[in-house]
Amino acid sequence: MPTTRVSKPKTISPSEAKLASIRQSFGDTLYELGSIMPDLYVVSMDLRESMRLSRFANKFRSRFIECGVAENNAAGVAAGLAKAGKTVFIASFACFSPGLNWSTLRESICYNNANVKIVGGYAGLMAGVLGATHQMLEDVSLVRSLPNMEVFSPIDAVETAKVVKAIARTKTPAYLRIVAPETPLVFPQKLAFTIGKSHVLQKGTSVTILGHGPILTSAFSIKKPSLEIVNCSSIKPLDEATILASVKKTGRCIVIEDHQKNGGLGEAVASSILTSGLKCKFIHLAVNNQFGQSGKDYQQLFSHYHIGQKDLETAIKKIL
Amino acid sequence: MFFRRSPHALEKLSKELRQVILETTYIAGAAHIGGALSVLDTIIALYNSPDLNFEKDHFILSAGHLCLAHYAVLSKIHHIPEKTLHTFSQLGSIFQGHESTEVPGVEFSSGSLGQGLSFAAGLAIGDKDSHVVCVTTDGEHNEGQIWEALLFANKYHLGNLINVVDYNGIQIDGKTEDIMPLGELAAKYLRFGWTVTTVDGHDFSALLKAIKQAKNSTIYPACIIAKTTFGKGISYMEGNADYHHTKNLSDDLYQQALDELKK
Repeated sequence: MPTTRVSKPKTISPSEAKLASIRQSFGDTLYELGSIMPDLYVVSMDLRESMRLSRFANKFRSRFIECGVAENNAAGVAAGLAKAGKTVFIASFACFSPGLNWSTLRESICYNNANVKIVGGYAGLMAGVLGATHQMLEDVSLVRSLPNMEVFSPIDAVETAKVVKAIARTKTPAYLRIVAPETPLVFPQKLAFTIGKSHVLQKGTSVTILGHGPILTSAFSIKKPSLEIVNCSSIKPLDEATILASVKKTGRCIVIEDHQKNGGLGEAVASSILTSGLKCKFIHLAVNNQFGQSGKDYQQLFSHYHIGQKDLETAIKKIL
Repeated sequence: MFFRRSPHALEKLSKELRQVILETTYIAGAAHIGGALSVLDTIIALYNSPDLNFEKDHFILSAGHLCLAHYAVLSKIHHIPEKTLHTFSQLGSIFQGHESTEVPGVEFSSGSLGQGLSFAAGLAIGDKDSHVVCVTTDGEHNEGQIWEALLFANKYHLGNLINVVDYNGIQIDGKTEDIMPLGELAAKYLRFGWTVTTVDGHDFSALLKAIKQAKNSTIYPACIIAKTTFGKGISYMEGNADYHHTKNLSDDLYQQALDELKK
């Protein structure tokens, strides 16, 4: 019998689940890969500890390039290293990379098809106390639009390690969106991550809940109605087959994301659904053309910007 | 590397390629001819320097709009017929309107100013056994990324990095000194920890000597400021910012330019 890769329906509540740090998982995975990939380089922009690059930096000194607070130069240097045959990760806050250096990502990296992985940290309202300038809500939109660029936003620390390993093996530009705080662990350790594949993390019949990043974990604590939760960590390429199969089954689709509505996953999904000819009810829960602000924690900010768990519950009632 | 010619022979080649650039601009209907004519001799010198070998070393044109000069030299090296070069900027052509890796010998596609030097610096770290030559322009130094790259190259002691600045004093809207004065550029490079030589960018002996010196700078990144004439060789184009991007050159002006270049 072939084994199925879809995990069994689980009843995980984020409040019960263990917490772990996505960025620590990113840094630890880079450290692990450093030993087995002699051509792996890491380019830093003076956010070495914030992006958890220190373990790699201390062990692989000659392969750790510190550019200082100069995100355009860093992106260019990374592209040059890639031209020399290296696999390069560049890591900063998402508001600076791709926020500040988008044109360099476009030309030096994407147009030149350089093997560079851009890691944007502190993404979304999850940047919490740092406020609007640092709560990058436009990064997915910026990078999704670039030819040659793949885009990933893992749901938790376990999936992050798998995504980092997967993109380290490709030769194309990729963007990895990660967040600062510790978040619930929901991705099954045994489940494989495949580029271009979405996972149905919970099977259901009434409403399809799609999302990317840790905000999607809020769906797991809602017991009724029967929700089908699809983790769209591979935003580009997008797994249209899995998404459309679920939407066809439920006829109702809610997309939730810690990002602007404009240019986010919701727009990509809406386009796929319309193009396919499927009829379904659709709600997009995302930040609506606003900047963020400082807040106590991300839960408070999610509520304020109407993308919290209560807002998801309300949306589910509305769509039924 | 490919021609290994004497300075006298290089002058002859320069004359020939100037005509190729003019003809291509005329046929294609539009090109950044002024800058291409100013940087041409620098590119010819680099490809003919006995101190460089671009089968191993790297040539990065940061100022991608100057591609026609590079394309003319590469076409000669790779025996690409002039007829093919005349497809410049046409749909489906390998000769895109800005520097593109589709052309044999081009390692970096460029067009947005200020990006090439960072790329060259990364390549210089990744390939320490080779030299990386970047060609930028004076106007391009308006871009902040250039200065980020200068700091970076100093920090990492990139002795295998050479930046040649095509200093023609002109950018799109006029004179660089009016648009954004660069001040003492050579002094700035020195202060940023680079070695720097200023040469006449149309004197092949001087250029070849400067390239040799720059290559011998093994601890510091090296800058060559090549003082050039915008639109070199065509009287009505020389120093005239209107010819930054030339469109639909009239038959008369084309003929006049051709006559002058043939002299």
